[in-house]
Amino acid sequence: MPLALDPAIIGREFDRTVEGPVTADELVAFARALGETRPEYTEAGPALVAHPTYCVRFRGGRFYPEELLKLIDVRSGFDAGKDIQLGAPVRPGDTIEVRSTVHEVYEKTGRTGSMVFVVIRYTLSNQRGEMLAIVDNRFMHR
Amino acid sequence: MPERLRFDDVEEGDELSARSFFLSKDQVRAYARAGGQWSPRFTDDEGARREGLPGMITPGNMSMGILASFLEAWAGPGTLRRLGTTFRGLVLPDRTIRLCAAVTQKDDASRSVELDVWLEGEEAERLVIGTATVALA
Repeated sequence: MPLALDPAIIGREFDRTVEGPVTADELVAFARALGETRPEYTEAGPALVAHPTYCVRFRGGRFYPEELLKLIDVRSGFDAGKDIQLGAPVRPGDTIEVRSTVHEVYEKTGRTGSMVFVVIRYTLSNQRGEMLAIVDNRFMHR
Repeated sequence: MPERLRFDDVEEGDELSARSFFLSKDQVRAYARAGGQWSPRFTDDEGARREGLPGMITPGNMSMGILASFLEAWAGPGTLRRLGTTFRGLVLPDRTIRLCAAVTQKDDASRSVELDVWLEGEEAERLVIGTATVALA
């Protein structure tokens, strides 16, 4: 474990936030900004669902837990990548519960020196308790 | 009912027809607004330079969204089950980008396929790479 972190931090929920309700206008604007034209993603109505990557916009109320913020300057970070596992689609009117956990912290040494990677897992569910997505957000710090 | 690609019509090694298009700064700004990422690095050249960047950049989330749309344009809406990406380089707007993918594995039990997927810049450099799982009919 890099950064002298307590391993108990891994897997522990550090934030739970409810966002929404999601509106049809938001879903349509998001999809159109990606160049989508298909009616499932761009036409308001009973068949409208969110574009599959709409879930990445939800990041909860706190970026990192306090223990990490003491060791890492968030402003030094770069978005290194993401993994999304998709569940039920997001629909207009949904409220989104976002549970945040530290999934992984690891260190790599590259040509430019040492880098620390922090993976925050966001688990998203709707008001019916359906899993919408699990998003692993990988941040790199120099 | 939207058309969905059939599992039996896909073979391991199949390459999707690549898609190239010009990604404008206005489109990136529209995404930054709609995606809750309204920040100088994604909206304004000067603001981005103040952060040490060469100019405004495309959010990684947007690159991911573009790749997701590319895959669903091939397989049908609602078919994407998983998408994992690594952001290797800066995707600068006001340039042409190219989207590519290839089928690497078929799973008979789930009627799903695994793909390698990537986004190239104008020099054919792979700026975003990843893998995806798509469920077929």
